[in-house]
Formats: sequence, structure tokens, C-alpha cells
Amino acid sequence: MGKSDFDNANPTVLSVSQLPSRTQAKGHVRKGPDSKYDHILFPKQWWAGSSLNSDPSVWTSDEDEDEDLTLATEEPIDEQEIYDLLSKISDPEHPVTLGQIAVVRLDDIHLSPSPGERSDPNSLVNVEVDLTPTVNHCSLATVIGLAVRVRLENALPPNYRIIVRMKDGSHAQDDQVNKQLGDKERVAAALENDTLKGIISKMLETCV
Amino acid sequence: MSNFKDWALQYVLSDDETAQSEIAKKAAKEIENTRASSASVGSWAASIQPWITITKQDDDNSDDDDDDSGSGDIIARAKALGFLADTLQALDKSLLRPEQVIRLVGFFGAMFSYDHKAGITASAKALRQLYAMKGFKPAVGVKMIEDVCKLKEDFKLQTAATRLEIYELFLSLIQDQSVNDELQDKYGTSSGFIVDILQLCQNERDPRNLMLWFKLLPIFLTEYSTSDEVTEEIFKAFSAYFPITLRNSATPIGITADDLKNAVRACFASHYKVTKLAFPFLIGKLDQGDAVTVSVKLDILKTVKACIEQYDNPQASIVPYINKIWNSLKYEVRNGEVKETIDATLDVLRAIANRLDGTKTQKFDISLLKNYIDIVVDDCRDDLANPTYTKQAGLLLMTVITTNIRAYTLESAAFVDIIRKNLRQPKSPSHTKDLLLLLNSTLKSRADLFKKRAEGHAEDEELLKTESSDHLVALYHDVYLPTWTGKSEETTSDVLKQVVQGLALLATQQTIRADGQISLLASRSVCSEICSLLTHTVTKGLALSQNDYSTDAAVQDEAVLALQSVVSTYTDGYAELVDRAKAEIEKRDWTAPSKHNLNALQDLLSRLAFIGCSRIPLSIALDDESPKPFRPLQHFVRLASAMLDLFPLSPLPTSEKESLANSYVISALHGSILHFRDACFEKFEPKVLEAYSGSDRNWIEEFRKLPKDWLHQLQGEEGSSEMVIKEDDPEIYRELLRISLFIVRHLYREAAYGKQAPWSERVFAQVANMAALVVRSLDENLQRSCNLAQNAFNFFFSEDLSSSGPSSLAPFRKLLILGILQGLRPAAMAELYAPQGIAETFMCDTSRMATVLLAVGEIRGTICAVLANKYKGGQNTFDPESETMKRVLNFWGEQIKTATTTDDIDPAIFEVYNTVAIHTLAGACARQDKNVLSLVPIFHEAIASPGPNGAIVARTIGGLVKTNELLTSENHAVVKRFYKQWAYTHFAKPLYDLALPTGDEDTAFAAGRYTTAILSLVSNCPFGVYQEDLPALVRLLITALNNSAASGDITQPQVATSLEVLVEILSNEPDALKSHLREIITAGMKTYEEAAKSNLTAGSKGNALARNLAAARKLTLQLLGAIPKKFEERHLLPYALPMQRMLAMASGDKSREARKVALLARENWAKVV
Repeated sequence: MGKSDFDNANPTVLSVSQLPSRTQAKGHVRKGPDSKYDHILFPKQWWAGSSLNSDPSVWTSDEDEDEDLTLATEEPIDEQEIYDLLSKISDPEHPVTLGQIAVVRLDDIHLSPSPGERSDPNSLVNVEVDLTPTVNHCSLATVIGLAVRVRLENALPPNYRIIVRMKDGSHAQDDQVNKQLGDKERVAAALENDTLKGIISKMLETCV
Repeated sequence: MSNFKDWALQYVLSDDETAQSEIAKKAAKEIENTRASSASVGSWAASIQPWITITKQDDDNSDDDDDDSGSGDIIARAKALGFLADTLQALDKSLLRPEQVIRLVGFFGAMFSYDHKAGITASAKALRQLYAMKGFKPAVGVKMIEDVCKLKEDFKLQTAATRLEIYELFLSLIQDQSVNDELQDKYGTSSGFIVDILQLCQNERDPRNLMLWFKLLPIFLTEYSTSDEVTEEIFKAFSAYFPITLRNSATPIGITADDLKNAVRACFASHYKVTKLAFPFLIGKLDQGDAVTVSVKLDILKTVKACIEQYDNPQASIVPYINKIWNSLKYEVRNGEVKETIDATLDVLRAIANRLDGTKTQKFDISLLKNYIDIVVDDCRDDLANPTYTKQAGLLLMTVITTNIRAYTLESAAFVDIIRKNLRQPKSPSHTKDLLLLLNSTLKSRADLFKKRAEGHAEDEELLKTESSDHLVALYHDVYLPTWTGKSEETTSDVLKQVVQGLALLATQQTIRADGQISLLASRSVCSEICSLLTHTVTKGLALSQNDYSTDAAVQDEAVLALQSVVSTYTDGYAELVDRAKAEIEKRDWTAPSKHNLNALQDLLSRLAFIGCSRIPLSIALDDESPKPFRPLQHFVRLASAMLDLFPLSPLPTSEKESLANSYVISALHGSILHFRDACFEKFEPKVLEAYSGSDRNWIEEFRKLPKDWLHQLQGEEGSSEMVIKEDDPEIYRELLRISLFIVRHLYREAAYGKQAPWSERVFAQVANMAALVVRSLDENLQRSCNLAQNAFNFFFSEDLSSSGPSSLAPFRKLLILGILQGLRPAAMAELYAPQGIAETFMCDTSRMATVLLAVGEIRGTICAVLANKYKGGQNTFDPESETMKRVLNFWGEQIKTATTTDDIDPAIFEVYNTVAIHTLAGACARQDKNVLSLVPIFHEAIASPGPNGAIVARTIGGLVKTNELLTSENHAVVKRFYKQWAYTHFAKPLYDLALPTGDEDTAFAAGRYTTAILSLVSNCPFGVYQEDLPALVRLLITALNNSAASGDITQPQVATSLEVLVEILSNEPDALKSHLREIITAGMKTYEEAAKSNLTAGSKGNALARNLAAARKLTLQLLGAIPKKFEERHLLPYALPMQRMLAMASGDKSREARKVALLARENWAKVV
């Protein structure tokens, strides 16, 4: 594809650090010149001896920093997690990710029932993702939608129902695109197409 | 005499080089035997007659049609000549008489006229040998050159190796002074022979030959006086190769493109008589614009630099070309984008300034340098007002001005003035930043010039003495302060960072007074103001509220670095900083501080330690004051006494969290020791410091005579009891250790005998870690003379205290013992091991065990581990019979035995016993103490015993080989290299047979226990240790997993352990699992399903169980997910579908961590189709 073929040759690109992420919320980070010996002076476990005891929390300095406990904490799938799954998909035209050009936005991902309301882990959950193409005549909107769909289907458990749409008014033909993306038969047929499959697997390469 | 003929024939017929050289040696010997009589030399020369005569006809015949008929003869003829050449090589060099040499030269020289096909290689070689003969006369050398040049066009038809011989010959001759004289005499400045050689050798392309050729050419320039025409010819000969490249060759020849480039460069720079050719040529190449690649540009610039640096007589060779060079080079910087070319260009400009300044011994007239600088200033001055070019123009100016002291004193005031004027009306924030950057770079360069003043001309130092520095001092009030105070929303942190850096550079500038005394450039008041400003930036974190984000961490970090360098020269600044910080901290209540305040405190204290202690302060005078005595530890002492005053910040903490403030104070002390230690290691060699880490004095005894507030006294103006230490004296390190030990002793006594309330576990641990650092830095003698082994147990108690020892022991106070013991060297602990001595009593003390927490048991156990590890018995020790350790181990053996054969001990209490026992054994294991082996049967029996205590032993036996961070060589522990292998062999290996299921009900119980024990050991060993038992181990692992899954008991820690081991095996030797794939996959899937069913989560009481469960889930997914990467698809196909279904469910796992692993696993399995 030559340069002139780009639907949008110059999209606004955000840097990776500007994207919403879970780690931003984390508290006190020390990285100044004086932090060279932090691992000795402020150790996670304040006693370095080897312990036969299977419960390490006895020696850990802060309840909320206990890594093993994070593993055991129940954290249902939330919007941020869906966003993390999607934001790293590459754009088919540019060497940037969908998150960087804000095709996928955290605010446009909705889970119902929301993570806090879910009682039974096996109940049905709707995932609605609204995409915002960089220009409203983007011919690749369907491809992007397809890739998002494939990614979610590969990553979410079977009780999640996936709905991928173009955000209202963001695309000249959003009705048609939405219809295409919502039609299971057509999605399945599209994925039989080797060229399309190639493009999509290329887009998903960056999701590691 | 017919020998020669035979030898010649043998030589010609032989193809083996060694055989040929043997023959040549024989011939040489023969000639030597006859003392080179004319007859023998004649017959030797005539021995090749048969090949030579035919040659001539042959050569004539085949000259035109070049057919191959004579090629056999050519080879034979070449060999025959080779025989002569080789003989000459083997011949005694002093033997041949001059007339013989002349005759032989005549013979071989003729070959260059007649025999271009066969004669050249051997002749060239022979001529080189003849040149080396004692009978060689210079006139003969001239003839050689003339003869060789007759080769003319046919030179390039010779092989590269032959040409190499000729280059070697030329090089020898040309370098020879007598031949040189002869040549000059014969040819004069017209140098016809040079022209001949140039013609002969043009078009050379072989890299190896070129290296010689480029060695030869400069000699013509430097050693021969040549006419302008000839000089130009020589210049053409090498400049034609510029810029030189080298094609990549399949067969490496040991010469790189850089070698060639350097060789050509050396030609250019060899003599200034090519100056009027070289500079226009090189600059012309540079001005070709875009056609020049970066690497060529670099080559040109480096060559120009080499010429500038090496040409003699710069007034004549360089000055005329400065304008031309400057006009071309300035664009490389002004519009340049590639860093390498910019740097190389600046190097050239610097080289010019240095060359015009003169040398260390002789300075040139200042006008040369001044004219050059004027050109640069005129061109760049206006660009500074243009934000687009500020940086580049400034870079050019600054580079030239700060090249040397003379240039600096000449022009810096004017330069600084231009920047100052521009800073008053900056065009944009980035313009301000660029201008500040230039100012800072100038200051930095000045500091560098000042430091290097002694390396230059004596005049330089005089210049510095009379240098006007007002324009620099004024920068504080004129530039930095207004920019800082006038900051607005728009001021970027980059600008502020530059200001902070500038302040530090300004405050640390040094100057030399007329009396030769070094002092700070800025006055005391300016230094003090700078310090206050920076201090305020660093300390204000405490005063801000939680929601105030106006503090920029980057600026603060910069301020920390700035203060670090400022207080190392303006030493009074640190006292100010510490006092201010101390006052700020004392103002607040630390009983129940907010998280925000705690973070601010942590930052502040950690920064204080870094600022004052990461550099050894210097002693530099201020203003007109006389210099103060050198007191390298003043900052360290100041900080330490402030911290000891502050402790405890929170006198009555009720939780670990509330004791954080106290622990930060201790961390600051610990940090200051670490930083200062680093500073010492940076200044002195580790070896040197090692010698200064000891003493045979008893410091602890000396401390008793010191007052409690000794550190306060040390701060006093005189520094009364502090030793006088010179600047380069490593004694400073010993003094650091001494004061540190004083601090440790003080804290230990406080902890043991003072008020108990402020001492939480965390603070004990902090103090212990600090003690460990100090103790392990001391050498053996000092550890012994200070009696540290005893002091570890009595917390530096001595008779001057009325009580008979520590009263109501806080349980975690044992950490203090550990702190000292872990740093001691084994030899310094010897006396502890006397029979019934402290060590034995401690290790066998079970008196309070029934009542203590398991965590306290861990600490006691670890102390035992250290004691057991550093034990040494035998002759000349306190335990001559080597009984102590044996008794201790037997004691614990008995304890284990009793506890597992009777029901006397409650499992909860036994857990503590067992912990201490296993740790003690682990310490001995690391040392491979043979006495441990006597306990093997006891342990094996204990593991299989029916009671719950046996299960505890089985589960924890891995502790014997668990890596303990306290048992390291840094801590002077005795750790044998293969001890894990050793322990595994004795404790785990015999159990495999017993652990495998037999189907027999009776043995099943014991087998289960053995499996647990094996797993416990294996999971703490590296893969290599259990590698050879893989078949049995894998079966055990699968059985264990199946059993746990079947019984629904997934929360047991051994489930996670088994999975961990399986993951380890899968990554190291997947083949071991190949035949068990079905079982592993089924067991894994089952385990995951069971683990996912459970509703246990964290937060409830079952934290540990929930953790085990989550770990089991994550590890199963990790194991299953890694399988497709290790095996071929055909082995996996049958499991793909159910696996994909299961993993799809697993990607809805409760834990986010586990979901991530599931996602990866899903991706891996999706590829199996």
C-alpha cells in the first residue's frame, strides 16, 4: 500500500505513557538519585532470612504490597482489562497501536452487568466496544472491528457476549459496518478469507 | 662442488617448503664452510645454469603469443632462483664480500629487465637479503631501486605477494639513512627515483600492499627534500585513494577499513609541505554537500584534525587556511543533525584553538588565537538571539572559547555577557533553556579547565590568578535567581532543572588567589543563598498538603544532585540543610502520620543521607578566610547525630505502620554508611581499603570511655577527638567504620536497655541490617579485638550498667544477635564454640519454645543456622575434640525422634522445634558437616511416622537446602559449592524407591509422606541436582497431583510445589515428560478445575490457603500453556479441543494474574490444529 492510499495519512498519535493504565494509580514511586539502595533500606520483606514458614505475610512490610496476595485477590474483568487487551492491536495502516490513535478508548468500553454487580461468575456478561475511526470515511473500519472482535473472542471466557460497533456518527456508513460486525455468519465468512486473516493476524502480533 | 647442482635439482623437484628450506640451509652451510670462496660462490650461482639458459630462448619464444608451452620451465626457473634466494636467507650475513654482493645484485637486478615472468619474486627476496648483508654498500641500494623500476608496466602483472616483497625492499632502502644520502646526492631535489617509484606503484589495490605503500609515501615527504612538482606527485599518489574503503572479503586478511583510513590519514598529516594541497583538497571534498555520507564526512574531519595537530609551523601551515576551514565547518554544526559529525567538527575547531595557543613549553603570540576567536565570535554572535540557532551557535562559541585557558580568559566575559543580554528578552521558554544550557556548559568547562591547569603552560595558572570573575559571580543575581523567582505556569521543568544545575556549578567554581591559595569563586553569602534556595526545594515536601502537585519530582531530584556537589565544597551548607530538615521534622507529630507525610519523610531523610554522604567533602577556603582543616567525615557525623537526636520520632507506636517513621530514621543512618562507603571505594582501591578495615584495638572498650554525645562533640569546631586525616589518606575509611560501630553500639544498647516502646520488629530488623553491614566490613582482627562475638549476645552490655543484663526481652530482639553474627568471620567466633559455651547453649536452648510465635522461632532458627555454619572444631580451637557440633546435632536428632514417636508434643509447638532444628541442620549442611549424615535415618523414620508431627518434618525438610540470603560469602559464611547435591543424595535419593506407589495399603501412607519430603527437597534444588532421577520423580509428581485432585485437597502447598517442579522440568528437559503427556495434561486439567471450584478468597481468614489455591491455578495454567512450545503437534492433537475449552473457561479466572497466564496458554494452544 503506497503512502497516497492512506485514508488518514497523519493521525494524531499519543505516546504510550499517555494511555490509561492500571499502574498509574500506584502510589509512591521513588526513583531519584538517592534511591540507589532502596532495595536494602526499604525492603519488601524486612527480614532477609530464609523462612520455612509458608505464610510470607509475617515478614512483609505493607499489606497492600504483598504480591502473593494480589494473586489470590479476586479481581473481576473490568473495562481497563478489556482496554489493555485491545489497545495494543496495531493499526493496519500505521506502525502505531489502536490505543495510540484513540480508535479504542477506555470510556467507550462498557460491561453489563458491571464488575461490581456480578454475583455469579458464570452469568452472561455483555461487552460493548465502540470504536472511533480516525476519519469518518475510513475504509478499514470493518477490518479494525473484525480484529477487535477476534481479539476479544480469543481472550475472553465463553460467557462474555461481544458487541463491537462504530461509535455513533463517527463513521459515514456506521450502520452498514455495525451490521457487518454484528452478523455472526458474515464474521465467520470473513475469517475464511486468507488475505483478511493475514491482515488480522498481523494486527494482533503486537498484543503480547 | 657438484653438490650445489644436486641440491639445486632437488630443490627444483621438491614441492615441500620445509624440505626446500632444508636444502637451502645445506647450501648455505657449504658456502660458509669455504668462507665464501669465489669458487664455491661461483659454482653455487652456476648450479642453476640448466634452467636459466633455456629460459632465455623460451622467454623470447613465448613472449608474444603467451602460450603455455614454457610454463613448466617458468615454474622450474622460478624455483631455481628461489633456491638462490633461500640460500641467501640462510647464509651468514657477514660472509659475502662487497664485490660478491655487487655481482649478485647485478645478477638479480637484471632479472627485473629480462625475466618478468619467473624471476621477480625470488629476485626481490634475494635483493632484500643482499640489502641485509654486511657487504652491502649504499650505492648498491641506488642501483637496486633503479633496477626494480625497470619492471615498469609489468609491475602490476605480478602477484600481490611478489609486489609485497618489492614494497618491503623499497621500504628498507628508503628508510636507510646512507641510501637516502646517496639518493639525494645523485638525484637532488628533482628526485627522479621517487617519480619512477610512483609510476611503478600506481594503481595498487591490494590492502596489505597498500598498508606498506602508505608507509612509504610519508617517508618521501619527511626524509627527502623534494621539488614542488614531486611533492605534488606524491600528494596525488595518496590523495587519489581518499576516502578509502574496503570491500568485505570472504577471507579475512587482518586489515580493516579503519587501518587503511588511518594509514591514508597519516600520509596527509605527515608533513606540512603538503598543506596548500591538503586543506583545499579535504575542504573541497567536504563541500560536496549531500553527496558525502556520514562516514566519509567523519573521515574527512578526522583527517583535517590530524593535519592541524601534526603540521609543524602552524603560522605558515594552518593560519592561512583557518578562514576556509571555519567557513566550511561551521555549517556542519549550525545545520548538522548527526551527532557524530557535530562532535568531530567541534574536535577540529578545538584542535585549531589548541594549536594556535602553543604547546606546554612554548606559547605563540596571542594574536593568532585572538584572530581565530574573533572570526568565530563575529559569525555566531547574532545567532544567539535566534531561537532556531541558539543552541548550535552557542555550541560553536563555547567550544572554541573553552578549549584552553588563554581562550577562556580572552573571551569568556564577552560571551557570558551576550548570553545574559539575550536571557533578558528570551523569545520562548526553550530559548531560555538553551541559553541557560550554554551558560551552564561554560561554567562546567571552566571548572574542567581549572582542574587541568597544572597540565598546561605555567603562564596559564598566572592567567587564572588575574582572571576577572565578577561576571560569573553576578550570574546568581542577574540570571539564575530572577529566572527561579520569576517562574510562572509556563516555566517548564526543563528550565528549572537548568537553573538548579547552574546554581550548583556556580557555587562549586574554584579560583586561585594571588597567594596561590585555592578558594571558592562565589562569596560566602552567595554560596549560602544558593544553599538556602536548594534546601528549601528539597525540604518543602513536608510542608505541602497531599493534593499539592506543584512540586516537580524531576526538579527536586536535580536539586538533590546540586546540593550533593555544593555541600562537598561549601561544607557549611550541609549543616544548614540538616538543621533545617531536623527542625521541620520535629515540628510535626509522628504518632499517627498520614501516608503522604510518611512518604515525604522517607524522601527527605533518604535525600539527606545521599547529599551529605555520597561524596567525601573537600576543604576549600571561602572568600578571604583561611582554609579549614580537612574533615572528611563532618557531614556523616552531622547527619548521624541529628538522626540519633530524632530517634524515636514516634515514641509509642501501636502498629508496624506507626513505627515506619522510626524505621526511616534508622534507614537514613544505614543509607549514609552505604553511601559513604561507596564514596571511599570510588576514591581508593578496594585492596587499599581492605588494609584499613582492621586494627588490633578494642574500639568497644574505647567507646566506654566516650561520652554518650560523642558525635555532638565531633561536630565542634576543633573536631577535638577526630583524628587529623589528610585528603588522600585511606584512614578515612577506618574512621567511618569506627563511628559507624559507635552508632551501632549506641542503638543496640538503646534497644536492649532503653525504653522498649519505640522498638517494633521492623526497627529491630533495620538496626540489625545496619549492624551486619558494619560488622562484615571489619577485618578478622578487629572483629576479635572488639570481642564482637560476645557482644552479639550481650548487646554491648558492660559492667557500667547496674542491671545484670537485658530485662524483659522483646521477642524480636533476637534479630539484634543475628545482625552481628551474620557479619562475623568464622575465626572471630571461635570462642563461642567451646563445649557448653554460648553457641552450644543457645543452639540447644528449648526453654521458652513452647510459648513463642513461629516467626520468633524462625529468627532463633536462623541464628542457629549462622552459628552452625561458622563452626570450626579440631586442634587449636576452643573445641579440640570437635564435640560441640556433634552434640548439638544429636540433641536435635533426639528431639525430632521423641516428637515423632510419642504424642507428647503438640504439633503447633513442634512446628517451632522443627523450625529451629531444620535451620540448625541447614547451617551445618552448607558446610557439609559429616555429623549431619548421622541424622539421616532419624529423619527418614520421622517422615514416615504416623503422627501429625511427621507430616511437619516431611513438609519442611526442604529447608535443609533452601537458599539462605544470610549464608553468603559476603557474610563470610562457609558454603560448599556442591552442598545441595550432597544433601540431596543423602536425604532424598534413598526415598525414591520407598515413595513409589506399590498398591499396598500398608506402605501407601509412608509413600505419601516420602513423596512430600522429596518434593520439599527437590523444589529447593537447582534442576541439575535432581536431573538423573527424573523418570522416578516425574511419576511421583503425577501421582501426587492426581491424589490431591482426587481427594479435593488442592489447598496443600505441595500441590503448588509439584507444579513448580514440573514447570522447571518442562523448561529444562521436556523429553522426560514426553511419555507422560497424557497423565500430565489430565492431572493438570483436573487440578485446575478443582482449584477453580473453591470459593476461598483472600481477605478471609484463609489467606494462606487462598494463596495456595491461586498459585496452584496459575502454575497449572503456566505448565499446560508451555506444553505446546515444547512438543510436536502430533503429540498434542488429541488434547487440543478439551484443552482449548478449558483454557477458554480459565480466561475468566478470578485472579487477574492467572488470567494473563491463561491468555498466553490459549494463544499457544490455538496454534495446535
